[in-house]
Amino acid sequence: MDKLDKKQLKRESIIQAALQLFSTNGFYKTTIPDIAKKLGMSVGNLYNYFSSKDILAKEIIKYTSQVLGEEIKKINMQDISSRDKIKLIVKVYFDMAQTKPEMIEYFLRVYLSHREVFSDGCEGMVCVSGFITEIMIFFDDGVARGELRNQDFFSAFGLFMGYLGGMVFLQGEEILPQELDSYIDDVSFNIYKALSV
Amino acid sequence: MKTIQLIEKIEGEATLKFSYNGVKIDFVDIEFFNTRNIENILLNKPALDALVINPRVCGVCGHAHLQATAKALEDCIDGLTLPNKAKIIRELSLNFEIIQNHFKWFYMTIMPLLGYKDVYIKALYPSQTINKAIATIAGQYPHNSYAIVGGIVSEVTTMDLVRLKSLIDEVVEFFEKEVLQSSIANLQECDNVDLLLSRDGDVPKVLHHLKNQNLYSLGKSYDRFIVFGSSSYFESGKSNKTRVTKSLDTKYIKEIPNQTSKAKNITYKDKYFEVGPLSRAMLKKTPLIKDAHRKYGDSIFSRIIARACEIPQLLLHSKDLISQIDLNEPSYIEPSVEISHLSGTGVGIVEAARGSLIHKVNLQNGIIKDYQIITPTQWNLGNGTKESLAIAQKAMVGLDDEHTAELVFKTFDVCSVCTTH
Amino acid sequence: MSKCKLLWLTSISCNGNAHSFLNYPHIQTFLNDFEFVYHPILESTYTLQEILEQELKCDIVLLEGAISQEFSKLDISITDTLLRYAKSAKAIVTVGTCATFGGIFKDSGYSNASGLHYIKDTKHHRYDELLSKTVSISGCPVQPEVLAETLYAIKDDMALKLDEYQRVKEFFAYTVHNGCIRNEYFEYKVDNHQFGEKEGCMFYDHGCQAPFTRGSCNKLLWNETNSKTRNGEPCHGCSEPNFPTTNLYKTQKNMGIPQNMPLGVNKRAYLTLAGVTKAFKIKRLEEDLF
Repeated sequence: MDKLDKKQLKRESIIQAALQLFSTNGFYKTTIPDIAKKLGMSVGNLYNYFSSKDILAKEIIKYTSQVLGEEIKKINMQDISSRDKIKLIVKVYFDMAQTKPEMIEYFLRVYLSHREVFSDGCEGMVCVSGFITEIMIFFDDGVARGELRNQDFFSAFGLFMGYLGGMVFLQGEEILPQELDSYIDDVSFNIYKALSV
Repeated sequence: MKTIQLIEKIEGEATLKFSYNGVKIDFVDIEFFNTRNIENILLNKPALDALVINPRVCGVCGHAHLQATAKALEDCIDGLTLPNKAKIIRELSLNFEIIQNHFKWFYMTIMPLLGYKDVYIKALYPSQTINKAIATIAGQYPHNSYAIVGGIVSEVTTMDLVRLKSLIDEVVEFFEKEVLQSSIANLQECDNVDLLLSRDGDVPKVLHHLKNQNLYSLGKSYDRFIVFGSSSYFESGKSNKTRVTKSLDTKYIKEIPNQTSKAKNITYKDKYFEVGPLSRAMLKKTPLIKDAHRKYGDSIFSRIIARACEIPQLLLHSKDLISQIDLNEPSYIEPSVEISHLSGTGVGIVEAARGSLIHKVNLQNGIIKDYQIITPTQWNLGNGTKESLAIAQKAMVGLDDEHTAELVFKTFDVCSVCTTH
Repeated sequence: MSKCKLLWLTSISCNGNAHSFLNYPHIQTFLNDFEFVYHPILESTYTLQEILEQELKCDIVLLEGAISQEFSKLDISITDTLLRYAKSAKAIVTVGTCATFGGIFKDSGYSNASGLHYIKDTKHHRYDELLSKTVSISGCPVQPEVLAETLYAIKDDMALKLDEYQRVKEFFAYTVHNGCIRNEYFEYKVDNHQFGEKEGCMFYDHGCQAPFTRGSCNKLLWNETNSKTRNGEPCHGCSEPNFPTTNLYKTQKNMGIPQNMPLGVNKRAYLTLAGVTKAFKIKRLEEDLF
């Protein structure tokens, strides 16, 4: 395994560990030494990968956006209808909420709720571009194919993402009576009806 | 006896079929034979697309078509405010187009026809220079669409005006050196054609040539003039000889299809009228042209002087317009109505190089449902009957030969592409 | 030394290209090197009637306007005249978008009206035998320098690199976007352009096609002075095969995303870049320049 891959894997393991600790103990209570201890690496070595907690926080957002973006890109590249794509996107999102809850949780409870951490270096949507770009591609394709109604980007984006984020939030608060999975069909249908031509 | 002559280099071609009674021409059938159906091309297009399509009616007066289009579309909106700055700048670029057209007509059409060789080159410098002036405010020439509904796209700044003045001055210098050796300011005041004839320059040269060849009193028509497009310089109205009536109503304009020609005939209150620089000068009572008309009627002499001398008038007027521009004003005010939802009809009229240009549009939900263009050449070059001759026909009837007839024909500055659009 | 003979043949046209050519700054010396066997405006050796009825010598045929077998002058089909002279000519230059792609006047009502080899971006194969000696100069109208300099290159047998539509790459490899003075507003995605202002980029809202239109408008400038986009008018894509498209002053957007991307830029790349630059506000670009 070459050196670059090793470094990349190490980065990802740090991010995973950090996400888990943020999830169980909270963002502000978790320190860099805590994360280093969990991984069994020295604090100094960790600082080689992320020179501060704030930088780590921003890199995590970029990373999670990238991961989610990659999944949505795979869906975008398929030659299927917008309606089918919506369902797959919802599924990917809900799956991630169930298998890697700390990731979506981080997005909702840290990124969206603690903007002050991200104001310098994550202006606007810079750090979530990996994800946003794929949603834009999805919308652009859908309108070009005559399947989605042409409208302002944000009104469509807000509807789609606000809805998904809201469902995941409710699930995190243990308010939803059933597993997220069982809502995929209805949620997808609602989104499709709202956005279609 | 009947003869046919193909007339070319008139922004296209036309065929003149001459009938003779003895030695004199007693009828001319004027036939334009190719149309491009622009009025059709415009159908079902969004309104603003007309601003891009319509300059392509013509390569030498396309800018007038642009402005008539903008005006017709603006006429569809009640209470639209056009900023004064935009109005003035539009008049400037239109003036410039007229000026370059007249230089081209004089040096590339008229002088070669009178036998002067290699003089056509002289048109290039002044027309290139004034085209730079158009480009300064309109982006490029030919074929810009800088006039839009609500104003113009360009901001136009202090240094743009400085540049415009320099370019105009270059053209003035050329005019005063080559075309007519007199200061253009003096020309404005001049009320005696003989004074003009006493000067040097290509215009007096041509006029003397006409006199020497006994051509100067030829080409008289009905002595009836009409101008629809008023601006800060031109005055609208009609003139029967020198009797002016100011009020005009476009409802009296009739467009009549023609048997042989692809160009339709135009009448006002069932009569044929002349349009163009001579008409404009008669309505404005320009001293020099008044005198020419008094002495030579509506002959080719008056027609040539009127067109050639419109150049210095417009150069002077343009300088005056520049001084009136308030750069603090906006160039564009967004109309209160969304054009893509607009329904209604509008008429846009401007004075193009060759005379009055009229555009009529009918919009439904922002889409063009009908578009009519009436060009100046349609007024002058109608194809009437022997009993009811149109303007140029009347001017040619009674002449001895085709070459002279071609000269008379071309003093109307014919635009074949416009006529058949 | 005899001059290179040019035959300017006007078909279904507005003469815009002929008039644009008159703005060539070095036209006087040009006329020392070239002879117009026929030109619709300039003095030429022969009359139109002579050109149509006789077989005269010409080195380069210049075709202006869309063509159709149905369009004729003096009852002679324009395509017959064209083919007659094209056969023995060294080169055929299509002057303008109508002659190249059909342009505006392919819709003028003549049967099968088209450009010399193309209807929009499709080859119609009617005159394939002429393809190897065709050079296309699209534009509505053409820039005079582009035409004149190409003619010199042909006359002097200089090697010309041509694109897939036979357009001279040296002029048409650039996009109209190259050299526009509003570029910074494009670079930093400042999308608040208003008509009548010298600031702002027209790509986002006002239909500017410059980033995906090939031409040298902002490299050579028009009338040695200006260009549409510098002046605040969106580029209408007049040198491209599908000119005119429609809604020419409005950018087609899908959920706020421009439908047409700059030449060669894929949507993901554009959107990622846009996402980054839109996050930052550059004060100088948000204000009046002066």
